Amino acid sequence: MKLIFTIFFSFLFIGISNCQDRFLTKNGAISFYSKAAMEDITADNNQVLSIIDATSGKMAISILMKSFLFKKALMQEHFNENYAESDKFPKATFKGDILNFDAIGETLTTAKVKGILTIHGISKEIIIDANFTRTKDAIVVDGGFIIEVDDFNINIPAVVAKNIAKKIKVSFNFNHKPFNK
Amino acid sequence: MLVLGSICAFFAYKMYHKPHVNVAASKSDISLSADKILTDFTSDENAANAVYLEKIIEVNGIISDVKIENEKGIITLKTNDDFGSVLCHLSENATKEMNTLKTGQSIRLKGICTGFLMDVILVKCEISNQ
Repeated sequence: MKLIFTIFFSFLFIGISNCQDRFLTKNGAISFYSKAAMEDITADNNQVLSIIDATSGKMAISILMKSFLFKKALMQEHFNENYAESDKFPKATFKGDILNFDAIGETLTTAKVKGILTIHGISKEIIIDANFTRTKDAIVVDGGFIIEVDDFNINIPAVVAKNIAKKIKVSFNFNHKPFNK
Repeated sequence: MLVLGSICAFFAYKMYHKPHVNVAASKSDISLSADKILTDFTSDENAANAVYLEKIIEVNGIISDVKIENEKGIITLKTNDDFGSVLCHLSENATKEMNTLKTGQSIRLKGICTGFLMDVILVKCEISNQ
């Protein structure tokens, strides 16, 4: 099993890299914001893994659902148990391409990112705008977008429909560093 | 009726404002080495998720990296694995106490396990002893 893993990872890393051209962060930040009549809810996750292959402009992101921390313990419990069903679907992922990646340089550039977002076991293609800066030792990405909970088959019971927005605002900030191993 | 109603309201209010688990004041559910928890996750992630997620884990190991990002301390614990480690995100209080910590030092930390990406991740970590 360990061997399989090692081989798998070797291929994974060979596949997405040519040595110096991989940028990575293990503590990317994603937060979401739900604005509803009854209450505003925010949650922050500072343990997001994001990898950019600087030769192809491919981007891969992995998110642990249980790493989203809420102000109120009860909200976090409901999120994990009822809505995201984090035991069944512990991770959300994004895999995609940064379009026109070569145009990104040291000045702040807005580029489109296109790929597949998977949350709650449901995959959906998204195209969003994100702000990039790229230097020799960092690729910084930030931005925001809206997701609709219905798209990801997340059911919000009518009783609490006034407490939770149907459209959730997601914002992100990743500071990728060159990865040498 | 009114009394019953107010009792219900009181409990509903208490439930709604239920506090988060206090990691510093709680006894750990599981205590083990950084190596052991990483091996458990790399060999069978689903089984490890069932055992460790949302539990208070006390983990001991050697510090391979100490840093502060967005005002929050992050301690990386070394393992025998080439890729993986244990990433401990510190609480606000523990972040204030981390300035004496150095790479190479052995440490014991207590935090809540949220899962495995390239590394095992613990959040809300407190420094148990040095």
